[in-house]
Amino acid sequence: MRVFISGFGNIGRGFFETLIIKDAYLKSRYDELITVVGIVDSKSYEINDGTYKICGFCTLGGKNNTGKLHTDRNGLSCTEIMDMVDFDLLIEASPTNITDGGEGLKNIRHALRKGKDVITVNKGPLALAYSELDELAKENGCYLRFEGSVGGGMPMINLCNEALVGQRINSIQGIFNGTCNLILSRMDSGIPFEQALREAQQLGYAETDPTYDIKGIDSACKVAILANSIFKRKVSFSDVSVTGIDTVTAEAVEMAAEKGMVIRHIGEISKDRLEVAPRLIPKNHPLSVPGSLNKAQILTDMAGPITVSGRGAGKGETASAILSDLIWIMDRRNA
Amino acid sequence: MLVNADIYVKDIPGSLVRSLEPVSAVDGNIVGVVHNREQVIDGMISVNLTFNVESDKLETLKSIWKSRDVVIAKMGSVTGTVPMDYILIGNADCAFTENLMKKAAETVAFSSYEINTSSQTDGEGRTVRISAKLETKEDAKKLDAFMVDSCEKNKLTCIRGLTA
Repeated sequence: MRVFISGFGNIGRGFFETLIIKDAYLKSRYDELITVVGIVDSKSYEINDGTYKICGFCTLGGKNNTGKLHTDRNGLSCTEIMDMVDFDLLIEASPTNITDGGEGLKNIRHALRKGKDVITVNKGPLALAYSELDELAKENGCYLRFEGSVGGGMPMINLCNEALVGQRINSIQGIFNGTCNLILSRMDSGIPFEQALREAQQLGYAETDPTYDIKGIDSACKVAILANSIFKRKVSFSDVSVTGIDTVTAEAVEMAAEKGMVIRHIGEISKDRLEVAPRLIPKNHPLSVPGSLNKAQILTDMAGPITVSGRGAGKGETASAILSDLIWIMDRRNA
Repeated sequence: MLVNADIYVKDIPGSLVRSLEPVSAVDGNIVGVVHNREQVIDGMISVNLTFNVESDKLETLKSIWKSRDVVIAKMGSVTGTVPMDYILIGNADCAFTENLMKKAAETVAFSSYEINTSSQTDGEGRTVRISAKLETKEDAKKLDAFMVDSCEKNKLTCIRGLTA
């Protein structure tokens, strides 16, 4: 299995490290080797082209020391670099662009058109063009997997589509952004929004520009992905009703507490609802969780409510989701 | 229908069972029994009973109880209510909230509602918490839509309670 990685930030590197850590396990499971034949980040790239060979620790060391890979891109697009080398599977982990899908969407389209399997953790392309990409994968006989795009280490998409296959999923309600949950749960202690946000930034959870999280854009992307992949609704990011948490006041949190409730940022998907908004929930509700965890409640027709939780971000957590998708694809390609 | 009844039975052994048997006899299902042995009036003790029964069987039940010297002090149907909670943030003063609830009452049937308004103003109005009880789930859905729409028009943030 020849793997091409587009995006070599925290997640891309996390997956690369996982391949090294899980080398013995993967060798015991499959006869064929998993080889990374190409890596691209925003400024540079490396490919196995006969003169240069990607080597686990050299590549990681180089990137960690210089911030760059072996060769400068010099204006080359990622798809042009993809065309320089033969590969079987694209791991797409470039930064999310929710305006037009950015380079990630181009990369996924390009790989699928070439008949390559794709695993993506990039939410933008899926939230904007799920139907098109799903169709493209089917037309070209490819697998498109994206467990890591929602909830990081929290199993959600494959859980609903595989472990719960045959059941009707009536709704999913969940906390899909750990930063928002951290801020709101800190506000439970009486501190105002601005201070809770600063704390989240200092702890490294919130970005310097936190818009993407606190305005609900990140959660809305995930809601759109779940609506398409689990509820088979043909929707995009713009169909999701979004309210951020930046208007939630300390006074509102206090008034909720007087009634035994907390405010949490909840994404909700059902056959007639697509929404991300701050919601009131009882303190003893399963979604009343503190800190930066992701948590979701899946309401099924047979098994009733199923609650899952896990770390929604982090390189190891997201890499675990990529690994499970990789194994899923390899099991089928080797069957 | 779900019925709650206060009945009095003779304070002698076996009378409680004799008062409960008729509920089963009319195909009713007992949900709860509170046997209040401390409240004895004229040799009779109070029993509070909650049960499900078809409404057309109630009269038969009453006559059986009468024939067994069971006194019915109070009987009424229990209607389940749907609780809905909202917090409005922004320029929501008391007059606005009162008017909002008046309009809502034209659309849905409230069992009850309670409005709490924050004591302080920060120049941008008060925060309001509304706790309502509605008679049906349909009304709860209608109220949700009404609140979202009204708050949007009035540039308020509406935080709704999460419902299953």
